[in-house]
Amino acid sequence: MKMLAYGMITGIAFGFLLQKGRVLRYDKQLGALLLKDMTIIKFMLSSVLVGMVGVYLLVDFELAKLSIKATVLGGNIVGGLIFGIGWGLLGYCPGTSAGALAEGRWDALWGILGMLAGAAVFAETFSFMKKTVLTWGDFGKITLPAILGINHWIIIVLAIIGGLALLRFFERKGL
Amino acid sequence: MSKQLLEDKGWNPYLAGSLSGIVSVLSVWIAGQFLGASTTFVRSVGLLEQLFSSERVGQMEYFIKTTPKIDWQWMFVVGIFIGALIAAKTSNSFRWEGLPDLWQQRFGPKSKAKRAIFAFSGGAIAMYGARLADG
Repeated sequence: MKMLAYGMITGIAFGFLLQKGRVLRYDKQLGALLLKDMTIIKFMLSSVLVGMVGVYLLVDFELAKLSIKATVLGGNIVGGLIFGIGWGLLGYCPGTSAGALAEGRWDALWGILGMLAGAAVFAETFSFMKKTVLTWGDFGKITLPAILGINHWIIIVLAIIGGLALLRFFERKGL
Repeated sequence: MSKQLLEDKGWNPYLAGSLSGIVSVLSVWIAGQFLGASTTFVRSVGLLEQLFSSERVGQMEYFIKTTPKIDWQWMFVVGIFIGALIAAKTSNSFRWEGLPDLWQQRFGPKSKAKRAIFAFSGGAIAMYGARLADG
């Protein structure tokens, strides 16, 4: 019950910020895919960089544990390509479609229904995928610092430098 | 036009994004939960399918792995709706519309059926890919 309340509160804060950042809209999502308006990339990258530092601080102080997903090239690459096609057609992401609907953009409802259908189809085909695509290039639960054998803060600093360089490029190009 | 009716410009995306990063860190710290949304669609459709044939759902490998239930993430997705609704209503940016501007420029104002087909199939394809990538 406590966890459900935490989920709701976290969602309200996150949904509020998504709307304030104006990243829920179809035009913004398509803008990024057309490489014309990088607002959502600015939002996502800021969130990732801050989250990365904060989560690793928690891990270093033993206040939290990482939740690492397995790197399965088959699933990650094929799934990523399929996701991109769907995202381009819909113009909303799974998480933001609920927020877009809340903004009154009710075409998101078609997307939500479609996503439920896609989830149902995936559940039906999971056993087949598990024996095929999801066995291709399975590296297990790896991280960059672990495979390179270096301290995670080196990767974090490099990621921040790379991220800031990309954002600076967007600003210079007026994207 | 009175000032109150104007939509605000929203916040700087760097500010809103960074604050959302802090929200994600607090969530990991306090609840031990990383933010995500797509598993919720699997659990939801499992709950719907259970209404029709709970026996079948109980035997499906994927629903054994991802139990259909209302959990932290399910409430998180509902929360996104509520949070976005509050932000939209308090900034005059709530707008009831079925065709996005960019879509309408390309396909015209009478393309609601086309939008429905594209959005539905796009959603289905996107969710299939997201689940395959375990994202």
